[in-house]
Formats: sequence, C-alpha cells, structure tokens
Amino acid sequence: MAENMSVVINVNGAGRAVSVEPRKTLADAIREDLGLTGTHLGCEHGVCGACTILLDGEVVRSCLMLAVQADGAEITTIEGIADGDDLHPMQSAFSEYHGLQCGFCTPGMILAGIDVVSRNPDPSPQEIREEMGGNICRCTGYQKIVESVQAAAAVMSAEGGSA
Amino acid sequence: MTTTQENRWIGVSAPRREDAPLIRGRGRYIADIEPAGTVHMAILRSPYAHARINGIDTAAAEALDGVHCVLTADDLEGIGDFPTIWRLPGQKECTTPAFAPGKARYVGEPVAAVVADSRYLAEDALDLLDVDYEILDHVVDVEAALADGAPVINEDMGDNTIIEYTFPGINALGVAGDIDGAFEEADEIVSGRFKVGRYSGVALETRGHVAEWDDLRQTLTLHSGSQVASLLRTELAAALGIPETSVRILTPNIGGAFGNQWDRYPEDILVSLASMKLGRPVKWIEDRREALQATVHGREQLQEWQLAASSDGTVLGLKGRVLSDQGAHLHSVGIGPAWVTGAAAVNQYKIANYHCDVVGVATNKTPNSTFRGFGGPEAMFGIERMMDKTARRLGIDPAELRRRNMIQADEFPYFSPGGAVYDSGNYPAALEKALEAVEYDKVREEQQSLRDQGVYRGIGISSYIHVSGFGPSAILGILDYYTGGYEGSTVKIDPHGRATLYTGMIPMGQGTETTLAQVAADHLEIDIANVRVVWGDTDQTPYTGFGSAGSRSNVAAVAVIKAIEEIKAKAVRIGAGLLEADPDDVAYADGRISVKGAEEMRSLSLADVAQQAYWAHKLPEGDQPTLEATYVYDPANFTTACGTHVAVVDVDIDTGKIDWVKYVVVDDAGTIINPLLVEGQIHGALSNGLGGAMLEEFVYDEESGQLLSSTLMDYLVPSFTDLPDFEIHHLVTPSPHTEGGFKGMGEAGCFPAAGALANAVTDALSHLGVEADQTPVTPSRLWSLIDQAGG
Amino acid sequence: MKPAVFDYSAPESIAEALDLLAEHGSGAKVLAGGQSLVPMLNFRLARPAHLIDVNGVDSLSYISANGSLRIGAMTRLTAIGESGDVAGAHPVIPAAVAQIGHRAIRNRGTIGGSVAHNDPAAELPAVLMALDAEVTARSVDGERVIGMQDLIEDRLFETTLGDTELLTEIRIPAAAAGSTFGFQEFARRHGDFALAGVAAVITTDGSTITQAALGAFGGTHATRLPTAEAALVGAETGDAAFAAAGAGAAADFPATSDVHGTAEYRSHLINVLTVRALNDAAGQAGGGNG
Ligand SMILES: Cc1cc2nc3c(=O)[nH]c(=O)nc-3n(C[C@H](O)[C@H](O)[C@H](O)COP(=O)(O)OP(=O)(O)OC[C@H]3O[C@@H](n4cnc5c(N)ncnc54)[C@H](O)[C@@H]3O)c2cc1C
Ligand code: FES
Ligand code: FES
Repeated sequence: MAENMSVVINVNGAGRAVSVEPRKTLADAIREDLGLTGTHLGCEHGVCGACTILLDGEVVRSCLMLAVQADGAEITTIEGIADGDDLHPMQSAFSEYHGLQCGFCTPGMILAGIDVVSRNPDPSPQEIREEMGGNICRCTGYQKIVESVQAAAAVMSAEGGSA
Repeated sequence: MTTTQENRWIGVSAPRREDAPLIRGRGRYIADIEPAGTVHMAILRSPYAHARINGIDTAAAEALDGVHCVLTADDLEGIGDFPTIWRLPGQKECTTPAFAPGKARYVGEPVAAVVADSRYLAEDALDLLDVDYEILDHVVDVEAALADGAPVINEDMGDNTIIEYTFPGINALGVAGDIDGAFEEADEIVSGRFKVGRYSGVALETRGHVAEWDDLRQTLTLHSGSQVASLLRTELAAALGIPETSVRILTPNIGGAFGNQWDRYPEDILVSLASMKLGRPVKWIEDRREALQATVHGREQLQEWQLAASSDGTVLGLKGRVLSDQGAHLHSVGIGPAWVTGAAAVNQYKIANYHCDVVGVATNKTPNSTFRGFGGPEAMFGIERMMDKTARRLGIDPAELRRRNMIQADEFPYFSPGGAVYDSGNYPAALEKALEAVEYDKVREEQQSLRDQGVYRGIGISSYIHVSGFGPSAILGILDYYTGGYEGSTVKIDPHGRATLYTGMIPMGQGTETTLAQVAADHLEIDIANVRVVWGDTDQTPYTGFGSAGSRSNVAAVAVIKAIEEIKAKAVRIGAGLLEADPDDVAYADGRISVKGAEEMRSLSLADVAQQAYWAHKLPEGDQPTLEATYVYDPANFTTACGTHVAVVDVDIDTGKIDWVKYVVVDDAGTIINPLLVEGQIHGALSNGLGGAMLEEFVYDEESGQLLSSTLMDYLVPSFTDLPDFEIHHLVTPSPHTEGGFKGMGEAGCFPAAGALANAVTDALSHLGVEADQTPVTPSRLWSLIDQAGG
Repeated sequence: MKPAVFDYSAPESIAEALDLLAEHGSGAKVLAGGQSLVPMLNFRLARPAHLIDVNGVDSLSYISANGSLRIGAMTRLTAIGESGDVAGAHPVIPAAVAQIGHRAIRNRGTIGGSVAHNDPAAELPAVLMALDAEVTARSVDGERVIGMQDLIEDRLFETTLGDTELLTEIRIPAAAAGSTFGFQEFARRHGDFALAGVAAVITTDGSTITQAALGAFGGTHATRLPTAEAALVGAETGDAAFAAAGAGAAADFPATSDVHGTAEYRSHLINVLTVRALNDAAGQAGGGNG
C-alpha cells in the first residue's frame, strides 16, 4: 500500500490538513476526512455532477480529482456558500421554486448554478439549460431548476453579484 | 390562526419542510451514515451472463491486511431467500437468493462479498478472489428464450416460460366478451408489434445499507433506503432466521427511488449477515456500475396487438399477447408489472371485447421488476399507438377517434374488461382541454405549410389512466399478491396542543412530509408549524401494508384524516365535560372546542383540552388518558387518475434528431394537496417517461450476453436540453372512494409520455409511413426507419 | 469504483517529469486533467503502478500566437476555448472546444490529455489533424516533433508516443489567408461524445476551392477525409461539390456500431454533417451541434 500523504486544503475559508492515500479521490476525502457529506457521489465517473465543487473558484468534479491534487488549493463545497444563517440566493431560490425533490443532485446543482450566474448575470432559460447540462437530476425534469437559477440570478444581480 | 376557513393548507403550495437541510448540504443520505467502527462491504458480481460456479478460492482475499471476512454461498446455511410476493395462479415458484445459487444467471448477480476496513481495501480484496466459472450458453432475447433448444435459465422451471396468464375480458355482467365475433364483424383489423425498451429508475443516489448488529440486545438495526421498511423488516427477519421484533429499519433521506427501492435485494441480507458475523457496523454503498447491473430493471416487453374496428371508428375488440422479459428470475413483485399492462390496456376506451395473454419469460438479464408506472406506461404505449394506427387506417383524425371511443363522464363506476373498476373522471373533457391548450387545429394547419418548407412537425396525442392506490387488501388477496393495501397513521396531540403524526410512508423526494403535514393541519385546524411528521423508523411508525410509492400519499392521507376524526371526537367529549355542556352541543372548529353558539364565551383551545387529557383528572367515562389515535385505512377501491398529453415535435429527417416544440399535459388526479409539489411530480414522471421514450435503454449484447449500458456514458438519462418546458393544466374530479377525494398521481406523468412522443414522431413522418414502434426512439433507429421508407 | 493502489509523484518541472517517466517506464501514467484517466482508475480499467501528476509543471501551460499557434500540453480546455489568440488564429478550435463535455470537464481537461488519450470520438485530435498540427514529445533521450497523422495513425485510445515520452506542446501552422471553417457534430445529448463529427477548413479563390482539409471523429479513429478533400479542391463551392464531398466523407469514414448507433447511421451522419459543415464554411459562419 502506498504511504499516506499529508495535504493541506483551504476548505470553505479554513485551512484543513488531512492525511490520505494517494489514490483517494478528492470527493471521498471531502466526505470522509473533512466530514463534509453535502458533496455527493452519483457516478464516480464524471457524468452526473453530484460531486461538483468549486476549486479555486471554478466548478470541477471532485470525483475526478485525487485529494493529493488539492494540496494548497481553495475549495468551496455546498456547506460553504451560506453566510452563517443567511442562505445564498441560489439556495433560497431552489427552495422557493421547488428546484429540488430528493435533494441528491442539489448541492451540485446549486454550485453549478452559482457558476453559471457568475459568468452570465442574466442567463436565458436556454443558456441555463446548455450551461448546466453536465449536472443530472432524476427527480425534477429540470424545469423548476431552470426557474430557480433564473430567479436567483435576478436576486444576485440586484445584490451586486454575490457569489 | 385567526381566520376560520376550510382547507387552509390543502390546495396550497406550502413550502417544503424537507428543503432546509438539503439546500445546505446537510441532508443525511445512506452514504453519510457511518457509526463508529464501521467496516465496508464490496460485492463480487458475475462477469458472465450464464455460468456455473464450480468453486471460489478466497484464501488470498482473506489474507489481505484489513479484510474482516469473505462471504460466499457456503456461508448461507440457515439463511433464506426473499420470496416473490405476487404469485399469480400458474406462476412457477421463484425467489431472490443472496448469492447466485450454484450458477450465475445474469451479469451482475452477486457471487461473493468482502468486508474490509475501507471500500478501497474491500475492492482490492475482490481482485484477489478467484472464481472457477464454467461458462454456459446464454439467451438475452425473449423470443429466443422461448424457442426450442434455448438454454434453460432456471432448471427447476423446466423451461423459460414462467407463467402464461390470460385476461379473458370479463365485462360488468361477469361474462367474457365475444372477441372472435368482434373480429369477424370488423371492417378493419389493425395490427401492431411494439418493443418497449428496458430501462429503469436509475436514481441519482445508488442503493445502500448500514447494518448494525447489537450483540448486547441481540437486535439488528438496518439503515436503508428501502421504500417499504415494514415489508423489508418482515422478510429480512425471516431470511436471517431472527425474530422480526429484533429488527429495526431506519430510513435516512432517499436520493430518489422510483419504485426500484420497493423490492428486496440480496444485499439487504448480505450486509446484515456480515454485521451479525462481525458484531460491528457494516456499510455497503452500491456504485454506479453495480446500480446499472444489479438494481432491478423495468418495462421491457414485446407486445403484439390486434384491434377490430368498424369503419365509423368504433373499436369493437382488442386482443394482444405481451411477452414480458423478466430477466433471470422473478424479483419481489413477480410479473406484476406485465399483469398490470394486461389489466390496463383498454385504457379510457369502451372496448367491449378484450382478450390478452401475458407471458413471463426468463432471460439472462437483470431481473425486471418494480419501476415507476409499474406496467401502466407499457400498456398506454401499446394502446395509444394502436389508436393512432387505427385512426390513420380509417382516415379519421386521431383526436376524433379517441373522442368516439372514450368512456363518458356519466358512465362511472366503469367495469373495465381488464378487470379494474374505474372510479371517476372526465376523459373527453381532459382531451378537449389538451387539444385547446396545444391549439390543435392551428398546429395541424401549420403542419402542412411547414412540411412544404422541409420542416417535419408532428403532433402526438396520448390519453391515459393510472390505476393507483393499490387497493382494498381483499382484492390484493384475490390477485395472490401477498401483501396488504392499507396504510396506518398515528396522530398524537401533546399537552401543549401540538400534533405529531407517525406515518409508515417513506419520503423519497416527493414531499410526503409536507403534504401529510398539510392534511393534518387542515383537519386539526391548527398551524402547520405545529405538526411534526415522524417517518422512517419501524420502532415508531405504523406498519404499512403496501409501502411507499409515488402514488400512495393519497391512501396515507386518508389514514391521517381518519385518525384525526377520532382525536377531534375525543377532544369534544373531554371539552364538553370541562365546559359543562352536552357533547352534542360542543363542536371542534378552528382548533378550538367550543359550545355551539357561544364560541366567544365557552371555548377551550386544543392545548387546554390536551392538557386535561394528559392530567386525566376529569375524563369522560370510558375515555382513556392522553389524546392520540391510530387508524389503519384499507382503501375501499382503487382510484384512477387520468388525463391526456399532447406532444409536438420536429423531426430532422437527415439525422433522426427529434426537437421539442411543445408538450401539453392535462391531468386529473382528484383533489390536489399541494399544487407546486404536484407539478414537480408530473415533471419528474415525465422525465422518466420521456427518458425511456428517447434515450434510456439497457442494451445487452446478443453474442456475449454482456450489459453494454453499464456506465452513464452508455446508459443515457435525460439532461437539461433533452426535455421541453411542460405546460400543465388540471382537471379535478375528486375520487368518490377516498376521503378528501385524493387520487395517486406521483407516477402519472410517465404513463402517456412514450406514446405521445412516438405518436408525434410517427405523425411527423406520416408522408413516409414511418411508424415509431420501438422505444427508445433513438436517432439511429429513427433514421434507419426513414431510410428504409426512402426518406 | 475506487482506484487500485499506485504511487504518486508531482514533479514541478519538465525535466523532473521526464526523469520519473524514464524511471518508471510502462508502469507509469501521466496524469493531466484526469477527466479521462481518473474515471478509468475508478473503474480499475487503468492500474498504473505510478502516477506522474504534471499539473504542477507550470511551464506546460501557455498559449502563444507568434506565426504558428503553440499551445502547451497542460493548457486547460476552458482557457483554449476562451483565448482570443486561439480564436484569432484558428476559430475552428474554440468551436470544437465548446462541444467538449461540460464546463466542469473543460476546467480540468487539457489539450495534451485529449490528444494523448485519443478517444476516437474526441473532437480535438480530428480538428488538429485537419489543421496539420504537430506535437512535441520529450523524453530523457531528447525531443521529437510528430505530425498528428503519424501520432494517431489508425489507433484508438493510444498514440505512437513512447512509454517514456511526455507530450509537451501542440503547434499549429498559421491558417491560409482567407480560409473559413465549418464544424458540425452529432451527439445524443448536449456535451456527450459525438456519434460523428467533422471539422472542415476550406480556402477559396473567389468561388473555386483551392484548399480543403477535413478531419472527422466518431469512427474507429480520428481521420482526415481524403476523398472528400479531393472532391472539393478545384471545384466550385456549392451543392454539387459539397454533395460529392459528403459522399466521399462517408466512403472515407471508419464507421462502427455501438449502443448509440449503427455503422450505417454513422456513415450517413458524416455525409450529412460534412455537407452542413461545408455550407457553414462557405457561408463564413460557425457550426454548431447538429
Ligand atoms: C462527462 C465527460 C464528458 C466528456 N466529453 C468529451 C467530449 O465530448 N469530447 C472530448 O473530446 N472529450 C470529452 N471528455 C474527455 C475530456 O475531454 C478529457 O479531459 C480528455 O479527453 C483528456 O484530457 P485530460 O487532460 O483530462 O487527460 P487525462 O485524463 O489526465 O489523461 C488521459 C490520458 O492521456 C495521457 N496523457 C495526458 N497528458 C499527457 C501528456 N502531456 N503526455 C503524455 N500522455 C499524457 C494520460 O496518461 C492518460 O492516459 C469528457 C469527459 C467526461 C468525464
Ligand atoms: S459523482 Fe462525480 S460526476 Fe458523478
Ligand atoms: S432532486 Fe433528486 S436528483 Fe435532483
């Protein structure tokens, strides 16, 4: 067995050190070693987007990275986007517009939605559908997710682009 | 809580109480549960479609550091199989074993299991297991499986025919129709042969369990995403040979189930057995490859229908043969879905003469079992394609043909020759509303001019019924379905007047907690914030006969209402005593117990009464202390949701690509508890239905017997750009059978979807005579039909 | 679905990476964006003894448009898709990159990984072939420059790179003056690997086609379409030449069947897509997802 390696990751604003086998995926390290189980695993081969996180501000699949690769990086998970008790507008919109049912895709969807709006503050439904196509939801049929992201975009631009 | 009005919550799009943790990433799904000391299980699955297992060398795996145990069939002594609980007359006996019984019968059947310190290590150990397989001939096609000389998959069955079941078409008078006469009398006989593709729920969360055997108390706690904790508890205890009273099932958040979690699976036994052996928590989380191979598949049927019609469009008779590809063995519900196909195929139409043979066939594939829709979508696909074929043959508009044959609003209850009693509905009204919403005449007009410009636009109508609320237990008994149809509910009022509702329903994302709270709040006439819903713990919640399904909240809601009626009656009795009034002069209204006509003066809050019920100092004769009631509701009959969907698509005849123009839904699901959540359910079910219509398919290689769709790159689920915006309209015909008038609707969207799509595609290509008779209608398949038609 | 055990190194320079490759040889794998390799590790379809992660080698990530366009192997697809230099030099490249997977995949995936992985349905190997690109491969023994055709031959999921070679750069000669392009692919879902696709770059002299380069993907391997190209060069732009090229493309295309479609269908698709791409090129317009 390969030796464990120690890795320091800035997670949701705080530095965390973990010791992991090189083969451990970043997703597993986030869930098991950092205890942040909001990052979900739906496929472990890059297709579903349930494991989406922000790595140095960009959306990535955490199932397709090794934990050791995140050494020195900043990551944001679903647990890190609310401001204390104040939900991120994307979170509120998903609830208000029924953008979730079972909730399993939701963390990834919310992060992907934030990413889309950060690059395009006023996305059309078609743009949302194309940009978020890498995230799978089995419950909602997507329409209400599109509505949620649009509604959040409006709030976010009114608030001056909170991300 | 200041105004008095009926239904403050029912009919309101109340926000979901489920959401708060989920949007913060604080949900607790099965993979998130990890008690101290947990070890991890991984399962070795057969890489072959059909192979005898001559031996398994486990030594190297057992010797690996960090491995706690290896389980094989040799460790199953004293362990039972899971039964098939729907056992139709004539059905050969079949069970679900924990490990392949001496031979593997499909790719993915469990062969051995390893428990180790981590999942990573457990998979390392799987690599070290050495299985001596003797490869046998396989068969993955139903017709080939029925042919002489086909490899026999279950030797004890003699051949691959599991059951041949006949629907003789008994009418309301209890006699079979005259099917031969109908065909003799017909002006036209229309035939259709349909392949309904194999696909399934493929929930985003895979299955999983955490089993905790407690040596001290000799109890097993299983954390599990099963939709039917009660049944699982009963059957798991039996399989393990321990008292049911020692088993507790705890249900966490479920990341989608879609019927697949209704079944009992080998891993339920394996993870429990491992925990009992090791005396520590054992966790198994299915990975995606396993999920595609080993969670039940659904739908696959080969249907042949013949329809007898007179030239004016009257459907005189329908006869069919449905071959259901059951996979390697019957799973929990037997051929149930295919039986429902036979029962539902006459749909909304007055077809006096009906005959259908349903044949369950074994093949070397993953078992085909419970999946959202349960045979209904398959039936709707067949009949709705037949209606369109008939319309085309007779030169009658497809909407008009349906109109001429629909059961009318004043003809309920309607005794269908499929055997079901339809309770209520207004089929023609739903059809007309859908046509109006889609602007049918206008689309038809545009269709011609667009075609001249090379745009091939098609309109597909698909009407449906959805028989739900699986019924009175007595009827399940008649069908040899060994479970009950009831749901129980316990409601307790605490001394402060707040309510706790215990339900056996298991929320799977459809908002059960919120909707049941809405029902309870309305009937208790208290604020919804004062209703707590307890679910997912068999030590606390009532036994459910049938378990959760997308369309069961209607039954559960009635149990809640009935329990609350008992509570209110008791509150009135206690309140009357306290108010020194005759109980007949006291009423329960607005969450208060008051003397009629003196509500301002002589009135007590529910809390006042509840407090007295707990002190029990002064209770009416015969009343027990505390304020709670349990009601187990066994539905009086099935309910039938219904509606019509219309799809409008453009087909690119050069590539076979289908583009959405419009999708209109008119649904009638009786009284609606929460419109927002209902919309969500319709969208979701449509995405399941259209997924199977266009994209999703488990494809097996004839030559090797391998499942080719074993990643999500090959098994394609719909993504954002594959589905249209749905336009939804409601009709409300409350069910006369259920309190509250609710009908099940969580599955309805998937019933007509494939028919609507296929009818639209066929309509778009009518100039070529292309018929979309196989699902999914993939671009490759569609193009080859276009090509053959010379397009 | 968890990777088997491997050792891991994260070199920070090309030289370090080359030493590691020389040391571990065929037992080692280079880890670039990981968007193809990590799924294979998770499925245990790839079981390297040693993983050499070159994400820390900053000198492999650059875009330089000085005469020819040079792109470092570790340049992410997102950066390429958004680069003004790339779009200015070869607008077919961002058109193709936009069709690769999804944002999250492109944020990690690299051009070097895409070329080295050589998925027969991947866009870039075929596009780079059409653009007559060359790659630089380095090892402790030195450096070689390999034309895309020679790199790929008729291989799939492998190239002629040696076990100890690191792909370091992709170099694309400047486009002919006035060349235009069309890019068309057909995938079952937005962002999926295509069933068939084609990049066409043509140059005309008024209305006569003087140069045509077509690269196709979605067959058994990435390929140029010589019959189609021959049908175009010297012909007038327009339906007749494009139809002949479409038919030529179908003849050249190494079509194959799988769960998504039959070989016949793919051959037909490449014909249709070639005609569409040529119409786009002739109309000076960009292509899109068929
Ligand atoms: C859901 C999904 C959808 C996708 N869709 C598409 C698509 O539509 N089109 C498409 O083209 N791709 C698609 N991809 C693949 C993606 O583009 C990959 O990123 C790309 O093919 C490989 O690049 P990489 O940098 O990730 O390489 P890696 O995965 O890191 O490596 C791939 C292979 O190349 C080798 N390698 C990498 N870099 C070098 C180097 N510099 N020298 C030598 N060898 C090297 C590795 O050893 C490995 O064998 C998709 C991937 C996913 C997960
Ligand atoms: S779990 Fe990472 S993309 Fe599905
Ligand atoms: S809400 Fe269940 S997968 Fe999206």
